[in-house]
Formats: sequence, structure tokens, C-alpha cells
Amino acid sequence: MTDTWKTPLKLAVVGHTNVGKTSLLRTLTRDVGFGEVSHRPSTTRHVEGARLSVDGEPLLDLYDTPGLEDAIALLDFLERLERPGERLDGPARLARFLDGSEARQRFEQEAKVLRQLLASDAGLYVIDAREPVLAKYRDELEVLASCGKPLLPVLNFVSSANHREPDWREALARLGLHALVRFDSVAPPEDGERRLYESLALLLENARPQLERLIADQQAQRLARQQSAARLIAELLIDCAACRRSVVSEAAQEQQAISELRKAVRQREQKCVEALLKLYAFRPQDAASSDLPLLDGRWGDDLFNPETLKQLGVRVGGGIAAGAAAGAGVDLLVGGITLGAAALAGAIAGGALQTARSYGSRLLGKIKGQRELTVDDGVLRLLALRQRQLVLALDQRGHAAMDAVQVATPQDKTWREGKLPEALNKARAHPQWSSLNPQAKLNQAERQEQIEGLVDRVLEL
Amino acid sequence: MTELTPLQNLWLTETVRLREEHAGPLDDLEANRLARTAGGDLPSRIQRRALWLAERDGLTNALKHWLQGARLALLLMALLACVTGAGMAFSALGDGTRAVNIFWALGTLLGVNLILLLSWAFGLLFAGEHAAALGRLWLWLSEKFARDAKAAQLPPALLVLLQRHKLNRWAIGSLVNGLWLLIMFSALSMLILMMATRQYDFIWESTLLGADFFAALTDALTVIPHALGWSAPSVDMIRVTLDTDYNRVLVRQMWAIWLVGAVLIYGVLPRLLLMLFCRWRWKRGRDRLRLELNLPGYAQLRERLMPTSERLGVNDPEPAQLHRVESSVGELASEGALLVAIELDEQRPWPPALPKNVSNAGILDSRESRHKLLEQLSRFPPARLAIACDPRRSPDRGSLALIAELARSAGETRVWLLQAPPGEALDAERLGDWHVALQQLDLKFADCAPLNWLETGHD
Repeated sequence: MTDTWKTPLKLAVVGHTNVGKTSLLRTLTRDVGFGEVSHRPSTTRHVEGARLSVDGEPLLDLYDTPGLEDAIALLDFLERLERPGERLDGPARLARFLDGSEARQRFEQEAKVLRQLLASDAGLYVIDAREPVLAKYRDELEVLASCGKPLLPVLNFVSSANHREPDWREALARLGLHALVRFDSVAPPEDGERRLYESLALLLENARPQLERLIADQQAQRLARQQSAARLIAELLIDCAACRRSVVSEAAQEQQAISELRKAVRQREQKCVEALLKLYAFRPQDAASSDLPLLDGRWGDDLFNPETLKQLGVRVGGGIAAGAAAGAGVDLLVGGITLGAAALAGAIAGGALQTARSYGSRLLGKIKGQRELTVDDGVLRLLALRQRQLVLALDQRGHAAMDAVQVATPQDKTWREGKLPEALNKARAHPQWSSLNPQAKLNQAERQEQIEGLVDRVLEL
Repeated sequence: MTELTPLQNLWLTETVRLREEHAGPLDDLEANRLARTAGGDLPSRIQRRALWLAERDGLTNALKHWLQGARLALLLMALLACVTGAGMAFSALGDGTRAVNIFWALGTLLGVNLILLLSWAFGLLFAGEHAAALGRLWLWLSEKFARDAKAAQLPPALLVLLQRHKLNRWAIGSLVNGLWLLIMFSALSMLILMMATRQYDFIWESTLLGADFFAALTDALTVIPHALGWSAPSVDMIRVTLDTDYNRVLVRQMWAIWLVGAVLIYGVLPRLLLMLFCRWRWKRGRDRLRLELNLPGYAQLRERLMPTSERLGVNDPEPAQLHRVESSVGELASEGALLVAIELDEQRPWPPALPKNVSNAGILDSRESRHKLLEQLSRFPPARLAIACDPRRSPDRGSLALIAELARSAGETRVWLLQAPPGEALDAERLGDWHVALQQLDLKFADCAPLNWLETGHD
């Protein structure tokens, strides 16, 4: 074992007002409800902490602080604190400021920030990259630098069109801050958190083991989330593919059945959307899916689908085998003289029973003029595509984002063509696999097996 | 109360997961809290939570009932197997009044076993996961014996759990082979018992085939027993079986031993070996059984049981009220008009064309420029001051304090909120923030150039 840290690494998130400090915290902690985010300046007026843990062990404490708003006046004030003939270093000067009365009046908010930064191991200085490099920001950095703690500038809003990253890079370099991280808290890059923690590890060499642990854990969790998401989608697809409605051949009834089927599929999709949002720790209102395009339904004769026939064969075979075994048992018990006769009778009875149970009612329905309505292939592909899009969007969405993800129907028509995965064709022959059907048997081993198989294909469908 | 085995723990956990998946989440606040405080890694926390919930909802008891039922079912089936085995021996040998057809008896004793053994092996190799009929019968019987509604969720959970690691084939395999072992063993015992207490004559007969065929068949069947040191009737003996006056005692014994050997080696031994193999695979797989953390049901528990992030709360509360920038009108004798801009970026052309009597104080950004202008204003206060601000900046306290300070050193002040540069739009919310802030300072503001006012003093 390497020597583990007893106390977590403390980071203060500092910066000008309204640059997105609380947003950065929301994204780093994956907590949509952390603090308060608004367009108003000085929304956050207190210091609030959040802790990141791996396997129950706290590794990183992040503190959200109020925004700095009056750095020019504060720097002015700090410089005047020095008495004639005296030469104070940064922390000593700050200590004098924090003891004084202005730290509780005009500069109260600034004092909170400085106290927190002094109590932390390092600071993340959040920058709104759309802003020009004004003198007040330089003064802010000077005040913060006097805390004597490492500062890592974080460029927020870098995905907006009019950001001024080069200006900021140059200005920060002139102030001696060469390491910096681009991290848009609304749309963080895929490796954004990794790069942030890696840059921190450069600044804080002894914290490297725990930061690396954090990076590894977040990577593992990301993969686990993707796997879980794929599973949720696979279950949705199996449910919809196996969904089946028996309808009397009559125009009015058919229309009603179609609209009912459509509603059921739509509700099932919404359930999947909600589960995905929950998985990615977003709120239910964070995604809005547009309605499904009008589906005609699929009036399939699945009675002669190869999978149905295969299943029928297995059933009959199973029935015959079971019947034969029962018959053989009877044979043995009564003395073995009739060996064969009872077994044969049992086999026929068993086979017929199984067949009647699984196939008979459907065959009967067909004879009575009922038609079977299932979900169209195209709709299945569309569902897969839309959910996959949602997963990709959620994967890259920061927890600071306020607007809802739109789950729209893709414009190009590719989803209308192409082959369905084998698992879905199988599911068509097993109405009991769908939670949308009555008498569903969701825990059937075969269903689980097909879901497992589909999981790998969902994200590449 | 007996301690649950690791498998039973996993089983209950899986049951709770299925329950929550199908019937919605359970009220788990207390369970979560207990699991969190107990610590450990995520699987152990999930199990602790599930066990607590299972205990509360009576699932643990249901599991025990089910296990009792399963044992009862197993006992019943074992009894049935013994009876079947004995019956097989009876039907093979008969009551001794007729001579026993040796190959007919062998077929009765081994035929069904062999056929079902083959079908089981085929099922294992090709069909995948379709549990054997005996296994299904056992599950069905256990359910009937358990008679507990809560137990309804238990068997599917076990199946799902085992299925995921393809373990149920070995569990069912152990059961099926074990039962057949019992059947064959009981048949063998009954065979020996009957042959020890009764006298049977063994014959072979055929309409089509000659003695050579039976000799060859016997030889073929004897290869393995012979290798294991079992004696077998020779070709001569087979030929003399039909001779009535030969040494019948010796022939009878020879055939009886051969029959017992064949049943032992072709009936008991394969089932024994298969059962041991299945048990070994089952035990090995069972010890490797873990929770599948990628399942959505468990993935969602992670944040509740082992949060990757948690809020620490406020450690420096917000003040009752923020420091307010005060504004007042300067009481100074003043003259002239001045235009000053605050924190403009260099991309904006500045200043605009000014009337003759309006002076330009440039752009205030740094501390030095602020000091210089404020000093100058306190010496020569202007009658009219226009402050140009870019409302894309945030109206922070520093800027507002500067505006207020500037306003104090002028006769009259107006704030000019600049328009967005071409091709951009102002953020309406931020503009609203500026309006609110300036209203609090009692300053007039407009979004067009107040040049006319600066020049003449009225609009």
C-alpha cells in the first residue's frame, strides 16, 4: 500500500462574480442541485463545500466561494495596510486585512474568499473566457496570488463562439500562470475532468496518487454508466419488439389499436428516458423527447416467422420429450411390459399440450379473423437511434446546463433502412418478453440472454 | 437464526432488485443509512441494504420456507427415485417364474437412463439454458411446498442470478445426475437383493440373430468391465446358456455378475462421475459469483449508498446584507461636460465624435486611471457627466462603486449603456441586472448617446 492521505485535498473555487464557479462545482460533483446558479451577480454569497469520494474514501473537497467583485479597491486597500518602513509578504498582509474591520464591511465577500483559499491546498481560478482581460481581473489574480497557494486557471465558456482564449493565455502567462485548463461547465469535453485533475497533480505533486485514483474511478464510472445505459435501451427495444396486439379486422378497431400501441410505445420510451436521466444524475425535466412519427404498425404474420417455427419445434420437441419421460416412468413402474406404448402416448399428449398452449390461441385468433399488430422495424430503429443520441448528449452534458436536451427524430432517413439485430427478430416471436403485453415473463432466461447480447450492439446500432 | 450463505445473500439481493425493478422503488431511507454507516465496498453495501429490506419485508423468512420446500421436494423426488429404481429392477427380473431374457433386462435397466443421459448431454451442448425437465419439476415442487406468496419472487431471482454466469446448467446437472445416480443405485441394490434371494434363469433368444451376434455384443459390452477387472461370460458360456443340462449354477452366477457389472459400470458410474463433475463446476462457479454492478438497478444505488460526491454544507454563511454602494449628489460648484467610459474592450471604437464643449476623459480600466480621473474631478467637477458602460460586463460591486464615486463628483450624471457591437446581441437578463443596479443608485440611464444632453444640459 502506498501511504494514503488521511485528509482529502481541499480546493477553493474562486473567481470574479458571474463566471460560473457554482456551475463548475455542479459539473465536477455531478450534482444538479448544488448551490444556486443565476444570471445575477453575487448569487453565491456564502462558502459551501462538496466532497468527492472513491470507494467511500474522501479524496477531494471543493469549496464554492462568493465572487470577487471589488478587487481593484481591495488591492488598493491592501497596499495601504503596509506601514511606512515595513515590508510585508502576501499572506502577512492578508492576515492583517482579515483581522481588520473592513474585512467585515466593504470587503466582507472578498474576505470570505481569501479565508477559504488560505485554508485550502490550491485554488481553481474560474475565468469567463468571453470577457476581455480587464485590469480588475489582473488585480484579482494579484490579490489571490498573495495567498501563497497554487492557482489553476480554468477557462469556462470556451465553447462559445466569441471567446478570447488567446488573450487570456497571454495575460496569464505574463502573470506567471502557465498551466491552465479549458473546461466548459455546460458542455465539458470528454476528457475535461481528467485534464483538470492532471494539471492539478502537476501543481500539487504530493496529491498525485489520490488525484490519479479519482481519474481512474471517474473513467470506470463513465464506462459503467454507458453499459447500464445500453442495457436500459436494450430492454426498451426488446419490450417494443415483442409487443403485440391482437385486433379484429375492422377499420375502426384497427385505428384504435394503432393509436393504443403508439401510446404504449411512447410511454415505454419516456420510461427509458427517465431511467437514463436518473442514471446520469439529471432531473426528469432535463430532456424532452419529441413525439414519435406516425407509425402504421406492422401487420405481421409472425405465425410463420422462422423464429416462431423454430420455437414451435423446440416446444413440441420439449413436450414430446417430457411426455415420453412421463410415459417411460409409467412404463417402468407398471413393469416394463408396455415399454414404448405409454411413452409414445405420453409424447403425443405432451407435444400436443405444449403446442396448444403456445401456438393454438394465436392460430385460433387467425382463423377467427383477428390480425396481429406489432411495432414497425423502422420505429424500433428510430427508438434505438434516439436513445443512443440521448445517451451521447447526457454523456457530454455538464450538470450545470440549464436547458433541456431535445430528443428529436433524426432528419436523415437512415433509420428507416438497415437490418435489425437478431435479438429483436427473436423477440418478435416471444410476446411474453414484453412488459407491454399481458402475462409478461420478464425474467425468462432467454430474454435475459438476448438482452445481454443486444447490449453490445445498442451503442453501435 | 442461522447465518445466510454468500449465495443466499446474493440471491436475496437479486430478489430485492427484481422487486424494485417491477414494482417500483422501496422505502429505503433507513436501509441506505445503515448500509452507508457500515462502510465497505459497494457490493457489500448493496447487499447489506438488500438484506435489511428483505428482513423487513419477510423475504428472508420466505427464502427459508422456500429452502425447506426445496428440501422437501428433493426428499420426495429422492424417494420417488428409489421407488423407480426398485421398480426398474423388478420389471427387469420379473418374479422368477419365467426365465429372464438377459438383453431385455439390460435394456430395461439401462435404456431409459442412457437415452435421457444423451438428451441431457445434447441439451447441455446445444440447447444452452433450457433447464432439464427434472430440474423444472423440482423448482415447481419447491414453489408448491413453500406456499408463501412472497416466495414467488425468489425462484426467478435465483434463475436470473445463476443464468448470468451460466451456473444453472451445473446446478440442474448436479440435481439430475444425482437423482439418476440414486435411481440406478437403488436399481442395483434391488437387483442384487433379488438375485441373492431368488433363483433366476437367464436366457437369450432371437428369431433372426445367431449366437455369434450375442457373443460379439457381450464381448463389446465387456471391454470396459474387463479392463476394470470384472469377469465376463466367455463365448462358450453364451453358447451353452441355452443348453439346459449344463452346469446351470455356474452359468446363472456368471450372468448375474455380468449383469450387476454392466449396471454398475454403464448405469451408476457415468452418473456418479457426471454428478461429481457438475458439483465441482457448480461450486467453483458459485464461489466466483459476484454482484453485476452494471445492472441499472445497482448502478442507481451507487449514488445513494456510496456517493461519489456529497454536499458538505455551508461553512461560511452569507451576510445578512451585502455592503451597499451609496450614492449622493455632489454639492460642488461645477461646470463643463465630460464623457468617460468604463471597462470597454479594445475592439470597440472610442470615443464617438463629440461636440466642442464636451471633453473626453477616455476609458477607465486600471487603478491608476481611476485615481487620476477622480483626483481631477474633485478639483474641477463637471456639471454634466456621462458614464458609458458595456452591459455585456457583469454589474459587479466594484464597477457600481466606481460609478457612484464618479457621480458624487459631478453635478449631474447619466449612464450610457452601450449597444452591442454589430453582429452580437445583448443578454437581456444581464441588461436587466444593470437596470436594477442603476435604479438602486438613483442614476438615470439610457441606451443611446446622451450627447445632446451633455452639450446643452437638456434633451
